[in-house]
Amino acid sequence: MSDNLLIEATNIDKWFGPVKVLDDVNFKVKRGEVVVLIGPSGSGKTTLLRCINHLETVQNGRVVVNGKLIGYRERNGRLVSDREANIAVQRRDVGMVFQRFNLFANMNALENISLAPQLLRGTSKADAQAQARILLARVGLPEKEAAFPVELSGGQQQRVAIARALAMQPAVLLFDEPTSALDPEMVGEVLSVMRDLASTGMTMVVVTHEMGFARQVADRVVVMADGKIIEEGPPEQIFSHPSHPKTQSLLAAVLH
Amino acid sequence: MNFNWPYFWAQLITPSGAFLQGLGLTIIMSVSAQLLGFIIGLGVAFGRMSSNKYFSFLAATYIWIIRGTPLLVQIVFIYTGLAAAGILRFEDITIGDITFPGNLQAGILALALNEAAYMAEIYRAGISAVDRGQFEAAKALGMPPIMLMRYIVLPQAFRIILLPIGNQFNIMLKNTTLVSVIGVSEMLLVTETINSATFRTFELYSVLGIYFLLLTSLWNIFMAWAERHFALGRPATKSPPALAALEIAK
Repeated sequence: MSDNLLIEATNIDKWFGPVKVLDDVNFKVKRGEVVVLIGPSGSGKTTLLRCINHLETVQNGRVVVNGKLIGYRERNGRLVSDREANIAVQRRDVGMVFQRFNLFANMNALENISLAPQLLRGTSKADAQAQARILLARVGLPEKEAAFPVELSGGQQQRVAIARALAMQPAVLLFDEPTSALDPEMVGEVLSVMRDLASTGMTMVVVTHEMGFARQVADRVVVMADGKIIEEGPPEQIFSHPSHPKTQSLLAAVLH
Repeated sequence: MNFNWPYFWAQLITPSGAFLQGLGLTIIMSVSAQLLGFIIGLGVAFGRMSSNKYFSFLAATYIWIIRGTPLLVQIVFIYTGLAAAGILRFEDITIGDITFPGNLQAGILALALNEAAYMAEIYRAGISAVDRGQFEAAKALGMPPIMLMRYIVLPQAFRIILLPIGNQFNIMLKNTTLVSVIGVSEMLLVTETINSATFRTFELYSVLGIYFLLLTSLWNIFMAWAERHFALGRPATKSPPALAALEIAK
């Protein structure tokens, strides 16, 4: 395997009760790559994303991030569940941005961003806060450091959430429908921050329904349906010449 | 009506030294039992919510037994019952000039163990009321479970359970009277002792009631302040529905 691979998920199976939501999925992401996952609701794209940082456990297959097996360790050639504390360490290289923002409600914007580096990376409070201010400026909210989440609009909360994820200096950022819970007028500000991030060479995996973003920013578009990856390729190929009938009907439904 | 006003006022305004000591004991018992109840209760709550089925079963059994039997029975069981069975006898402990009597130790322990069962359920309700997304965000950043609880979940749960905690301590203040049954000279037992010599029951129990009313009222004032303080400028959690409704009602 090439060192260039940052995420390597192989032969992933996942059931929710009797429903098989991921069916032998193979998914790889290279360092610096921006991958956009699209597909109809219930196709398994969010579940696949959540398997990458072990917010969902996989039942078959393995997920390797940055060369480290996630959620399991090998004992006598068999995989056994790892301890929560070890899984926590593995997650530190994987940032995540949620549909519902999930900013810590008991902290202001600055504390939201600077907490994890202090607790988990041993950064001093002064350094963590200085870095948090730089990140707030980068997402366009330098004046909001004292604001609590309820005092921020959805778009502002999501931008703080992106800054919070970046503060841990992750190797990859996962976005789970980052604009789906936003009012339409706020979608643009969040996508623009994500576009800037992509241009800095950040490795990103984005689950979204924003086809315009996918077309402009993605290096590769991955289409899922019924728990399988049905098609993948560069955006111009997927959007202009979709080969799978389900991709064609998905695009027809979204673009018109 | 046979009501001796001068006697009533004298007892109310210039209570005997024994009564004031009883008041002190009531406060010491309720505060220390409540604090112990907070700590033990948190342990029981984590046990109850643990994915380990033995911990969960043990905690659930504890809560079941404590909440299913009268506090008065628990107090006698712990002090007199354990001693009678030769399992545990609470001995007086003397440190310097201060003696910490065995029955007071047993009384505080019984109140604390009882409180812990109720607090455990309150903690559990508070923790499960915290949005799942808060847990996920903390996990995704790489926080191990204890850190997640300490920095993210418990501070938010605390605001949710502030009102029930206030309620619990109010009940605790009054429940200390039950410890009189094992001979701790708190306010009720002192009043009974004076009563057996004077038979001024109506006056004496009026005074006792007024002192409890005073204690609970002071606590109410403190809680009203605490609620404002923890809401002030920090509309952190989306107010849980119960809290929000109360605030509108104010």
